[in-house]
Amino acid sequence: MKISVYILTGIALSIIESSLLSFFPVEFFKPDLGMPFIIYTTFFLGPMPGLITCLFISLFQEILSNAPHGSIIFTKLSLFLMATFLKKNIYIDSKYSFSYICGGSTVIESFLFLALSILSKGETSNIMNVIFYTIPNAIFTGFVSIFIFSLIESMNMKFLSRE
Amino acid sequence: MHTYVKVKCNLGEIAGPAIKIVGKPANLVKYLFETYVNLFDAKKENVELKKKLDIFQLENQKISELEKENKRLKLILHLAEQNPSKMIAARVIGEDIKNWFRCIIIDKGRDFGVTEKMPIITPKGLVGQAVEVNKWHSKVMIVNDTNSSVDVYIDGKNSRGILEGTGQTTLKLKYILKNDEAAIGDKLITSGKDGIYPKGLPTGIIITVNRNKPGIFADIDVMPFNNFKRLDEVLIIRKR
Repeated sequence: MKISVYILTGIALSIIESSLLSFFPVEFFKPDLGMPFIIYTTFFLGPMPGLITCLFISLFQEILSNAPHGSIIFTKLSLFLMATFLKKNIYIDSKYSFSYICGGSTVIESFLFLALSILSKGETSNIMNVIFYTIPNAIFTGFVSIFIFSLIESMNMKFLSRE
Repeated sequence: MHTYVKVKCNLGEIAGPAIKIVGKPANLVKYLFETYVNLFDAKKENVELKKKLDIFQLENQKISELEKENKRLKLILHLAEQNPSKMIAARVIGEDIKNWFRCIIIDKGRDFGVTEKMPIITPKGLVGQAVEVNKWHSKVMIVNDTNSSVDVYIDGKNSRGILEGTGQTTLKLKYILKNDEAAIGDKLITSGKDGIYPKGLPTGIIITVNRNKPGIFADIDVMPFNNFKRLDEVLIIRKR
């Protein structure tokens, strides 16, 4: 129940970002609205819910993107694995530490995508463009994840059990 | 009795102007009272009129928006009417969720006969090509995507090059020799030799030409005719 709510919220936010927010003339930054849900489920609900959320959200993001097939799923799964292994070493105590981790994950995702594009030559060209957007995207993902963390917490308090 | 009538008449003569003089402030009071009452009514009326004005202003805004939309749609219709069997009109419903790629999502898919690699245009010029087609919607790679390349001619000159996307607003025109004819302000049209875009579609205008760099090719920047951030309606060219 809980994971399905998170997944649906993540997908809904991604769709809103792709359709409604596309009419704002802002190209320089685009927060990854699916990332906070993946990080949250992986850190607070465990590996299996994290994996399910990661697969669903990354699949939907790929539907809404022109990225090469499987690339977003690959980068998001890599992030999920990293989060699973680093879970014991990283402690999320507030929405601010959560936002740092989400911002950091966006940077790592950009570099993973870059590495993947360079390794699989022919799929994408002039991909260094990705570096240009990495930092603004990370800053805004971190900023937005503060609100998403509060949203998830309030959803937990009002509708879902805190377990 | 006669004296009484006389006195009364004289008093009446005095009273006349007195009534007039006294009546003046009375009129003023009456005027003020009426004005106050009118003002009260006017205040009410003013509030109602303000409400109406707000509604009309909103409607006016809508009308100007509708006029703009009407103008755009007329241009689209005009273009589509030239070749009705070859064009499909579509609305832009979204864009790529990542800013690493330049892609838009349109509301026409397989159901309307859209297939991959179909060119997408507007009355202003080239937009891109359909890269992923679903049942109800399609993804369009815009010409300023880093993966996009278009074979183009410089209009009116015999120079041919490849127009590549940079991921930014401007495009790069590549493989134009330094001694080829290319100047700022030259218009580019598709050559039709890449097998995707038909010949003669306007794509952009040259904004910088740099021949002072090493190598045999000139460094040329091109500004596309379309503002891809503000696309509302597009036309899909059916392939034969």
